[in-house]
Amino acid sequence: MDFLAEGFRRAFALLFSGDAEVYGIALLTLKIGFVATVLACGLGLPLGFVLATRPFWGRRAALTVVNTALAFPTVVLGLLLYGLLSRRGPLGAVGWLYTWQAIALGDVLLALPIAAALAAAAVQGVDPRIRRTAETLGAGRWRTAWTVAREARFALAAVITTAFGHVVAEIGSAMTVGGNIRGQTRTLTTAVALYTSQGDFGLALALGLILLLLALLVNVALQMLQGRGHA
Amino acid sequence: MLELVGVRHEYDGRVVLDLERFAVAPGAAVAVVGPNGSGKSTLLRLLALLERPTAGRVLLDGAVVTPGGTARRHMTLVEQRPILFRATVRENLEFGLQVRGIRRTEVNRRVENVAARLGITPLLGRRRHELSDGEVQRVAVARALAVEPDVLLLDEPASSADRAAALTLYRTLAEERARRPLAVCLASHQLEDAYRWADDVRALADGRLSPVTPENLFRVDLTTAESGDLKRACVGTVEIAAMTDKIGPAILAVPPTDIFVSREPLASSARNTFRGRVTALARRRAGDGAVHVTADVGVELVAVVTEEGLRDLALAPGSPVVFSFKASAVRVF
Repeated sequence: MDFLAEGFRRAFALLFSGDAEVYGIALLTLKIGFVATVLACGLGLPLGFVLATRPFWGRRAALTVVNTALAFPTVVLGLLLYGLLSRRGPLGAVGWLYTWQAIALGDVLLALPIAAALAAAAVQGVDPRIRRTAETLGAGRWRTAWTVAREARFALAAVITTAFGHVVAEIGSAMTVGGNIRGQTRTLTTAVALYTSQGDFGLALALGLILLLLALLVNVALQMLQGRGHA
Repeated sequence: MLELVGVRHEYDGRVVLDLERFAVAPGAAVAVVGPNGSGKSTLLRLLALLERPTAGRVLLDGAVVTPGGTARRHMTLVEQRPILFRATVRENLEFGLQVRGIRRTEVNRRVENVAARLGITPLLGRRRHELSDGEVQRVAVARALAVEPDVLLLDEPASSADRAAALTLYRTLAEERARRPLAVCLASHQLEDAYRWADDVRALADGRLSPVTPENLFRVDLTTAESGDLKRACVGTVEIAAMTDKIGPAILAVPPTDIFVSREPLASSARNTFRGRVTALARRRAGDGAVHVTADVGVELVAVVTEEGLRDLALAPGSPVVFSFKASAVRVF
């Protein structure tokens, strides 16, 4: 227990000491998380909307693929991405291996099916009369889609939060394609793993607490964006 | 003119609507009556271009129209259980006007105007969870009227309204039709309202238009004939004899004008003679001299008599009465 209490003491001391390395890691994690969430949700939310509302051939199969992708092991994803981005890989010329962009790309691929599947479920949960009402009042396709999305805004905000949560908590792919390089690709999760393995429990705990704090702040910000919480 | 031509519509392979032709003329007041599941709501959704019929065409002023086009803006549907958007009543009323790109001042004018006519001005600032079912229905009708459609489609518009609210609604519709050429097609299971309000009452049963007026429609199962094509179908606690070659599930209709009304059974060739008591008398159109006599004869039947016939028989609610009609008068479809 002393070991744990000492860890917490160290963690709070680091948090409030303004340690440049700790804050650098946190900022990089936030940057990657933000970029990956925006891209994943930018693609995933419309994809989920289409899957939920547009009947097309192969829709069931597409939904199955998306739902299966939810369980894709991040280490395997990292491995595949490593193969693609390594110098001899098809995307080797891009030169992204061991950069924050590679981590962000992995996170996008991880969060995209999450955003799509959960958005599809959120949109399917909207009363079908909303769509019919918008249409009968003269709304075109985009306005109808926007109206349905507005009705599902609480659920869609939860999708974004979930996607962000997965992105910032991801470690398998980040470690493989990022390389955990100090000052360059070290994120909160890879740093926690490293410092834990080195026995620096306080630092690992401090970074873990920052991760939790980031998740909390993003949740609060999204809730504020949702506006008033009633019908 | 809004028309359905040769329309058949299916859900999961089950035919729910099968109409050779159904038209709503400009400025018409059409009521579609029928029991639950008769296809009224599907009919309105097809007319509103919210669904594409499995087969057949929807025509607007002679041109084929399909869901997704701009033609949809000519008609507006208010569903039986309407839903409001997650917004204030005012924002709901503004919705259809905003999507049409109408200027803010005109939007405000129309919203205030329609809210006043339907008596919902005090509700403008409220949100949907602060309204009763009846208020939601009135707001939904106001929202539809605000966009000034050519055809207003209403699915059981008074189902959640009390009598006063229903009268306000019908009065507003009448005023709106007097003000501009608005066609209204209303689905209802309340025959009295349909007759009082509509110029043209059509009956729908099992997705098909009844060839006779909407009273006395029964869903039956016809078994084999006793002699020739004479069949007997159980309706309520009585058996109705009908001449038909049809076997199996069918709709049986007894035209009210083909029912003889008397105090005592008549010596006649009528295969159907039922004793009962008068439950209601109604004069559905002022000045036409016809009185609808509803009687419970084991099942509720409606007959039409003249004012003079009513006087001669001295019929009043509770009076004993005999209804007779020939087996060949019964329509089966």
